[in-house]
Amino acid sequence: MSVPVAQDARTVNLTVNGEARTATVEPRLLLADLLREVLGLRGTHLGCEHGVCGACTILLDGEPVRSCLVLAVQADGRAVMTVEGLADDDALHPLQEAFREHHALQCGFCTPGFLLTALYLIEADPAIDERDERELREALSGNLCRCTGYQNIVDAVRDGAVRLRTTKERA
Amino acid sequence: MRRREDPELLSGKGRYIGDLTRPGMLHAAFLRSPLPHARIVSIDAQQARSMPGVHAVLTADDLPPGLGAQPCTHLFQGQRETPFYALTGDRVRYAGEPVALVVAESPYLAEDARDAVVVEWDALPSVGDVEAAIADDAPLLYDDWPDNVVAVFEQEMGDVDRAFEEADVVVTERLRIQRHFACSLETRGVLAEWDPMLDELTLWTSSQILHIARDLLSDVLGMPEHRIRVRVPRMGGGFGAKFHFYPEEVAVALAARATARPVRWVEDRLESFLATVHAREQVIEATMAATEDGRITAVKADILGDLGAALHTVGYGPIWLTSVMITNVYEVPNARVRARAVATNKTPLGSYRGWGQPQANFIVERLVDSMARALDIDVNELRRRNFVPPDHFPYKSLHHVFDSGRYADCLDRALGMLAERNWPQRVEDMRAEGRHVGIGVAFYVENSALGPSRILNAGGVEQGGYDISRVRVEPGGEVTLYTGLCEMGQGVKNALAQVLADELGVHPDQIAVVDGDSHICPYTGYGTGASRGASVGGASVMKAAGIVREKIARIAAHMLEADTSDLEMEDGDIFVRGSRDRVVTMAEVGRAAYIRAIDLPEDEEPGLEAVAAFDPPQMAWPYGTNIAIVEVDVGTGKVEFLDYLYVHDIGTVINPMLVDGQIHGGVAQGIGTALYEELQYDLDGQPLFATFMEYVLPTAAEIPRIAIEHQVTPSPLIPGGMKGVGEAGVIGAPAAVVSAIEDALRAYDVRISATPVTPATLLDLLDEAATRSHGAAT
Repeated sequence: MSVPVAQDARTVNLTVNGEARTATVEPRLLLADLLREVLGLRGTHLGCEHGVCGACTILLDGEPVRSCLVLAVQADGRAVMTVEGLADDDALHPLQEAFREHHALQCGFCTPGFLLTALYLIEADPAIDERDERELREALSGNLCRCTGYQNIVDAVRDGAVRLRTTKERA
Repeated sequence: MRRREDPELLSGKGRYIGDLTRPGMLHAAFLRSPLPHARIVSIDAQQARSMPGVHAVLTADDLPPGLGAQPCTHLFQGQRETPFYALTGDRVRYAGEPVALVVAESPYLAEDARDAVVVEWDALPSVGDVEAAIADDAPLLYDDWPDNVVAVFEQEMGDVDRAFEEADVVVTERLRIQRHFACSLETRGVLAEWDPMLDELTLWTSSQILHIARDLLSDVLGMPEHRIRVRVPRMGGGFGAKFHFYPEEVAVALAARATARPVRWVEDRLESFLATVHAREQVIEATMAATEDGRITAVKADILGDLGAALHTVGYGPIWLTSVMITNVYEVPNARVRARAVATNKTPLGSYRGWGQPQANFIVERLVDSMARALDIDVNELRRRNFVPPDHFPYKSLHHVFDSGRYADCLDRALGMLAERNWPQRVEDMRAEGRHVGIGVAFYVENSALGPSRILNAGGVEQGGYDISRVRVEPGGEVTLYTGLCEMGQGVKNALAQVLADELGVHPDQIAVVDGDSHICPYTGYGTGASRGASVGGASVMKAAGIVREKIARIAAHMLEADTSDLEMEDGDIFVRGSRDRVVTMAEVGRAAYIRAIDLPEDEEPGLEAVAAFDPPQMAWPYGTNIAIVEVDVGTGKVEFLDYLYVHDIGTVINPMLVDGQIHGGVAQGIGTALYEELQYDLDGQPLFATFMEYVLPTAAEIPRIAIEHQVTPSPLIPGGMKGVGEAGVIGAPAAVVSAIEDALRAYDVRISATPVTPATLLDLLDEAATRSHGAAT
């Protein structure tokens, strides 16, 4: 999107997936649109643009936020992680591997949001796989999926936590 | 087998309609009616046109003369015509109807300018309720009609009146099924490129109907099909709503022509609630007759379907389908249905997973519950006494011919799971503790493998029912499959690749599947819906693969100096049976076919590909049992699942992982129907929803784990034996869930007559029950 630069444009400096990025944006530009349209990171999906569906979830300084509810200018000086930051070149992240193994995605539209939510949950509680089903489901209830009925997502998050632990122990 | 597209989707590299860009691309925003019914007095777009970054504002006055109305491909007998166009110029009939299109440098600027377009509306009386719409004094949506009834369909078999006269027991149910919709997480979107030099249109669209969309564009624009190329990128779910051809697809194409620039429009979520077809809403009154020994002798039903403001692509098809499925899986000799499709000032009705089948299943299975109570026999025993037995197939139901079924086996296996998990005892124990726990069962049958073409055409459907596949072995021995079906997340490309891999003896990794391009993919008759991808699509792949396989064998036999009947194909090798060292590879055969004609048999033509069509001889009929075990909190009205069991028969299972995924998602949507989702309107047709806070989709916290078992009885009609599964999960869930809730509240004798069963609804019903029992006590 070649958004014409308005007179009140601001410069935003932020880190995206570990890389320093700079953009000149209108104050009203959403962070989601900055990522998608200006920086070309289209893995962050917009499902509702009012903060309910969770498809646009990213990590902002490590915390999950809805990038449709954050202005680009609010990300100035902060670190953003998107789904594009998960895989290491050709190798999928262990959490992505778990999603694939458990068929935790069908159309894939909600998947980036679920991955980042799950990554945050696992980092906050590396033993989240040992929690009971109800707690895990509550923790994931901020993201909507219309295809899978959630069962395989729950299984994938559990398995992803185990895989991440194993990867860390090996490292 | 794991899915091939997953690494791309998991790493954020999937490209959906909203991710596509073109050099110089502009963005569109629609101005939509805020009123349910109004005349447009004037539209003043002068200011909008002069705003910075704005390239065009289109209204109905700017549409080309001769532009066609939005087509309806399902022309059932006797239905009225309700023409509407890409943009409406004179009179809007629902809130959300598009009246103008603004094209600008960014979506932000397009929306700014859209808000600067001034429309003077002359509000007209309106109606937002289907029963009010058939009242004598109802406002009329179409002035030259005597009423708001768009179509009446009636069908009858046997002697219904006599059956009711002679019945020992008669039960009646009156149910209201709410308006809700497919609601894929990705909304719709269009990207149009119109080459002004060649006068060619490329339309990227999030659609389930690749060639049908192209043909309808051709009809509406008056432009030959070969100058229109429809392309479908990654799709973020469809569930039927993207089976339709929308005004926005025409309007955005015209905007691209008007501006000579690529134009993209992506529906926002509010628009999706208003501009994407709605589904399901019906009021049904139905009556069932039976003998005292539990033989169901007759069913009659009167169905009132809320069509919304106009007939969309599939006409009133879903309402019709409810009516003809009214006997479900039961051998009922007498039946009579009347279905009326009624216009109201609401968004047009259309397709959603299952079409009219969930409603039919809901009313029949509710009647079966009532009948079992009235006869005081076990409801599953009542089912067993009335199932069409296996030796009565093919069985002529009210309208359709059912191909095959082992219904009692399927039900018994599900009840076996229930017993294995000790639910009957556990429910008793929980009740003894004062908990409100119940078990609900629903048995469904599903119409799949749509065609056959001639039957569809005879019924008024201006679409084929076949599929065509093209299979090509490349010079390097790899295989390319071209399909007209669209991948929308269901995994159809994986399933077709597996079928093809088996036929040619190659690994699925050696196969690329190409979809989503009307210029290069073979024509699909009906599009991607009606649970037909694996069955009809799969059978056409097998047919084309069979032709290619024969040619491979002929070439290999020549190269090996062997007889074709002595050859086997495995792992990409073609070898003489019993002597694996007498072998040629698929690559060697491919090289002979394209490059080294010197290696071909003398009379063999070069090339190694085949195109084949499959049109099913009949529809296929999968079936299954849903069992819901729920607990109700009588203090809050909250319903919680303790378990969910599912046993079904879809014929041959190509990929159990994909099939289970379809069931999980379908049941979740059926639970959404039963408990959560509603597009509520006021009585005038003003929408009472705008966000996901009003339209409640179930989350991981609401949907239970679903235990699935597959009974596998290959279809006798489909090569490969696949029946299809896409819609199966959604059909029986509402009836099972509602039955379980009533069972949980048996102490209060609560009767549920409408969905969704929200906590507020349940608390009201419990209040009524308390008043009743208080009244009875005094």
